[in-house]
Amino acid sequence: MSIPSSDVLLEVRELDVRFATPDGVVHAVDRLSFSLRRGETLGLVGESGSGKSVTNLALMGLIRGAQISGEALFEGRDLLSLPADELREIRGKEIAMIFQDPFACLHPMYRVGDQIVEAIRVHSDVSKKQAEQRVIELLGAVGIPRPKERIRDYPHQFSGGMRQRAMIAMALVNNPDILIADEPTTALDVTVQAQILELIDRVKTEFDIGVILITHDLGVVADVAQTVMVMYAGRGMEVGRKDDVFAQPLHPYTWGLLESIPRVDQKVSGLRPIQGSPPSLIFVPPGCPFHPRCLHRFSPCDKERPEFRDRGGGHAEACHLSADDKKRLWAERQSRFLEAAV
Amino acid sequence: MSEAATQAAALEPRLRAEPLLEVEHLTKRFPIHRGLLQRTAGYVHAVEDVSFTVGRGETLGLVGESGCGKSTTARLVLKLIEATSGTVKFNGRDITRFSRREMRPLRREMQIVFQDPYSSLNPRQTVGQIIGAPYAIHKTEGSRKRIVQELMDRVGLNPEHYNRYPHEFSGGQRQRIGVARALALSPKLIVCDEPVSALDVSIQAQILNLLQALQRDFDLTYLFISHDLGVVRHISDRIAVMYLGRIVEIAPADLLYSEPRHPYTAALLSAVPKGRVDGAQTGRIVLQGDVPSPVDPPPGCPFHPRCPKAHLIAGKDAVPEVCRTEMPPLGRLSQDHYAACWYPLEPGDELERAAHA
Repeated sequence: MSIPSSDVLLEVRELDVRFATPDGVVHAVDRLSFSLRRGETLGLVGESGSGKSVTNLALMGLIRGAQISGEALFEGRDLLSLPADELREIRGKEIAMIFQDPFACLHPMYRVGDQIVEAIRVHSDVSKKQAEQRVIELLGAVGIPRPKERIRDYPHQFSGGMRQRAMIAMALVNNPDILIADEPTTALDVTVQAQILELIDRVKTEFDIGVILITHDLGVVADVAQTVMVMYAGRGMEVGRKDDVFAQPLHPYTWGLLESIPRVDQKVSGLRPIQGSPPSLIFVPPGCPFHPRCLHRFSPCDKERPEFRDRGGGHAEACHLSADDKKRLWAERQSRFLEAAV
Repeated sequence: MSEAATQAAALEPRLRAEPLLEVEHLTKRFPIHRGLLQRTAGYVHAVEDVSFTVGRGETLGLVGESGCGKSTTARLVLKLIEATSGTVKFNGRDITRFSRREMRPLRREMQIVFQDPYSSLNPRQTVGQIIGAPYAIHKTEGSRKRIVQELMDRVGLNPEHYNRYPHEFSGGQRQRIGVARALALSPKLIVCDEPVSALDVSIQAQILNLLQALQRDFDLTYLFISHDLGVVRHISDRIAVMYLGRIVEIAPADLLYSEPRHPYTAALLSAVPKGRVDGAQTGRIVLQGDVPSPVDPPPGCPFHPRCPKAHLIAGKDAVPEVCRTEMPPLGRLSQDHYAACWYPLEPGDELERAAHA
């Protein structure tokens, strides 16, 4: 694992996003804080409705009709309070995004090359020829064979993996500082997923950028991220360096997630699912939002909101249990888990 | 007894059980129509010469990437579509050429659970109607409501929700409704087509545990289709790996994961993010290129254009003659372990190097 350099690219503080709907106020993101460094991949992981996608849409100013508060500092500017035209300058140039579905992100009636050329010319004043040259270079760099010919192709002539490569090329055309990848491999088969994850990792190093990787797949995070943030009901539950979070997870929700995933590399005789289902974001349980499903809840959990506490080395979590209790409980759960496997 | 020996002993009777489902040389080609006259311009080779058996009480996992023919195989087995050639035997009877009328009594014994619990439930019917529908169709006597409520209780739904509609349930609960409907007529075989793929991980585990408990209680046989190798390993006794419409390897679950013999299986397994704490993502075989089109599958072994082992044998960018010209048969490598490969993997083959060469 490369050691991330210390310069912080993006600092998000107390991000809060609410939507007013006919059924009530949806509290999609609840006082979320994190930072991203250059050369680092930050994995935002959580189940559907945990607020991971909304977080990034809010940062990019891509949500309408929401109440957003907090700060997101990028190069000394607060993304959340920038006027729309200044944000548009940053979006797609300094901060680029790729999405889950590469089928929906390319216009089916325009040639792939032309769409990427357009992305360049929106942000910089270059001739069509020069832009095209750059597109050919980049398509080659992201592993599309015969890029000179392929820029004349339409999206339907590309496979799913190639489309995602083209999207990554498009994200890179303006030399961004940050790449936000929202479930970039979820729609892809596992062998293609491996190719794309490898590409994102290579791009991160070669272009020296910071990557925010949004995924529901803990395995993907473990593979490519250096820092992990586990989200639940719009809040950060646990954050830390990947090795710490996977080796010594501190939050009961993280424990539950780790225990409910069937593994390829070992057979366990019984999965231990988390009971119940995630809460509605209109009626988030009071106190800790995870308490109704938590095996270790005690008196303060349904009343007091647990605040984020750093347990050392940037490994922080929001849970009322004491550090000693956590250590003991996790050890117990693991031994029971392994027992079940024998 | 060692852990492995215990497990092997536990597996034995199931693997040796008499087959409930026997599939032989099953092939399905979908014609492609082109032009004004809608002439047949070619065929999609969806399933090619697939053979396997599933023993009573066994779970056979069917894995592969999108377009490999696993769902088509499921539909052929259930006779939801007609096979181009080959036979399907259920409970010892050849049902391949059965008419709809002849199939009807068999339908209660073969059921299916679908992937998407949103589109597979009629939004305008109550849960009671959905789960009770099989009883109505197959004219079972007795108090339907009581039976349905017992079933709901068994799959972890609140029986008082009998009169609710699907939209009032979460994804996991809907999948429980789908499972209850499949169970209604006490089937022998349930085809599970990606039953947990649309669910969040914490819910996915609940459904997998439910399916396993039901299998024990009702002596069910599963044909379990999934693209998720972790899920398949967890639930299956044996696993068949498909690529471009063919079964390339079939083996008991643990054996397949510990000693894959087909290069495609090895690549597939190595591609799964392992979530290893030590960061030891060792030996990932990243395949080059994409899966070829099933309209025009490559001659010889369908995997040869991407096969890392072929390069290991014949050198960089080269492929052995036999791989390019002849389809390898599904050969028996050891007891219960079959692979369709001219050069099955041997210990010590370093495929990841070959793949990157």
